[in-house]
Amino acid sequence: MGVRGSYEQELNQLKKDLFVMGEQVIQAFSASINLLQTQDKLEMEQLIENDAKINQAELTIHDDATMMIARQQPVATDLRTTIVALKISSDLERVGDLAVDIVKASRRMEEKKNEEEINAILEMAEVAQDMLKKAMLAYQERDMMKAQQIATMDDTVDKKYRLYIQSLFTLTDETNAEQTTQLAFIGRYVERIADYATNLAEWIVYESSGKHFDLN
Amino acid sequence: MMLASEDKSKVDMNDMIQRDTEEDRQSVYRVDELNLWYGEDQALKNVEMDIPENQVTAIIGPSGCGKSTFIKTLNRLTEMVPSVKTTGGIYYRDQNIFDKKYKVELLRTKVGMVFQNPNPFPKSIYENIVYGPKIHGIKDKKVLDEIVENSLRGAALWDEVKDRLKENAFGLSGGQQQRLCIARCLAVEPDVLLMDEPTSALDPISTLKIEELVQELKKNYSIIIVTHNMQQAGRISDNTAFFLNGEVVEYDKTSKIFSSPEDKRTEDYISGRFG
Repeated sequence: MGVRGSYEQELNQLKKDLFVMGEQVIQAFSASINLLQTQDKLEMEQLIENDAKINQAELTIHDDATMMIARQQPVATDLRTTIVALKISSDLERVGDLAVDIVKASRRMEEKKNEEEINAILEMAEVAQDMLKKAMLAYQERDMMKAQQIATMDDTVDKKYRLYIQSLFTLTDETNAEQTTQLAFIGRYVERIADYATNLAEWIVYESSGKHFDLN
Repeated sequence: MMLASEDKSKVDMNDMIQRDTEEDRQSVYRVDELNLWYGEDQALKNVEMDIPENQVTAIIGPSGCGKSTFIKTLNRLTEMVPSVKTTGGIYYRDQNIFDKKYKVELLRTKVGMVFQNPNPFPKSIYENIVYGPKIHGIKDKKVLDEIVENSLRGAALWDEVKDRLKENAFGLSGGQQQRLCIARCLAVEPDVLLMDEPTSALDPISTLKIEELVQELKKNYSIIIVTHNMQQAGRISDNTAFFLNGEVVEYDKTSKIFSSPEDKRTEDYISGRFG
């Protein structure tokens, strides 16, 4: 153990906690997309309730990072690790909220309709999920190259989103305004999640290099 | 797996946002290939530094790294040690201070020094301040009174001692004595203040007062400070040089050194992993 062994343990714990939070959020997002198809009301309620755990995880990371700044005065890479933990936990918490928003919008939709549009959402969501997974892996491995690849994936989501929104305007009169609105919202939520994944990538590059890198 | 942080070459640097707000400042000192030996032991190795005026430059590094030797060399205090040998140049305002024709008295008037332990003369507060100006031939009581007030105000001590100027300086607290020593430097109107761990013998509040004072003083003086306290270097300096085994490992803006230093040895030192 080095001169500051216990301090290094605290830093490692912070990273581990963030990684666990990342897994919780990816799980929530993934479940919210599955529920679009299954429409399981019980699971929907559970997902909404579980968001409190994600919020609590963010607060714990926030408190631990604040305490480290106050007590250990981190500098250089240690400081960036601490600051990035604050930023990433905040972005992940927002992704958790968006997963809840997807479920709430999904509840307002009519069942077994608009299969084509829902498939388009699933396609976008698959890329967004991969982005989040890749971001958390890049975070764990401090891998800047992986982080940069996320930017390209975000471009894919953006293109799919644009086509998707255009397609909503061509829907027949059979689809009512409420249904169309909810479909548009869900598409937007997924697109925002991909943006948050890109934010994570930017923070991962910053943690490793100390440089701000605009990937959006 | 190789850490990505060690593989920065793959990042397209053109895409990085550069926030360089470098200002053009004159150098008060230019140190050129400075080497210094105590007998056979080399204490400074090829030191090259430009020290900008009206800024605070911190010198940090573990014990025995040469930082005190370096700062003492800047006003030729090291030559008091008989076995010292130096090569290279130190240019103060473009003049090599090692030049045989260079007047060391003039250098030490322009370059004041404050040490780790406050070292006032065993005289009154007033006499401590006027000691230097009197040597320089100032005899007019009114002028000397003005110098005393201005110097003590400059060192943020006037309000605390104005009613007891005739009392012995040893009656002051450690922090006040150190500010008196700074005032004593200011009395001869220097250009540069060298400070060799000026707060390491002081309590935290006195330390913060000196740090505040340093921020004030840099408006009119160039300050070079050796400190063991990394947080202090981070708080008060504009530039930081990290010395190790007599060499300058890294010299950059303090914001850069404390956020993303280039050299791993700098990072390990400032984050407390050795030293």
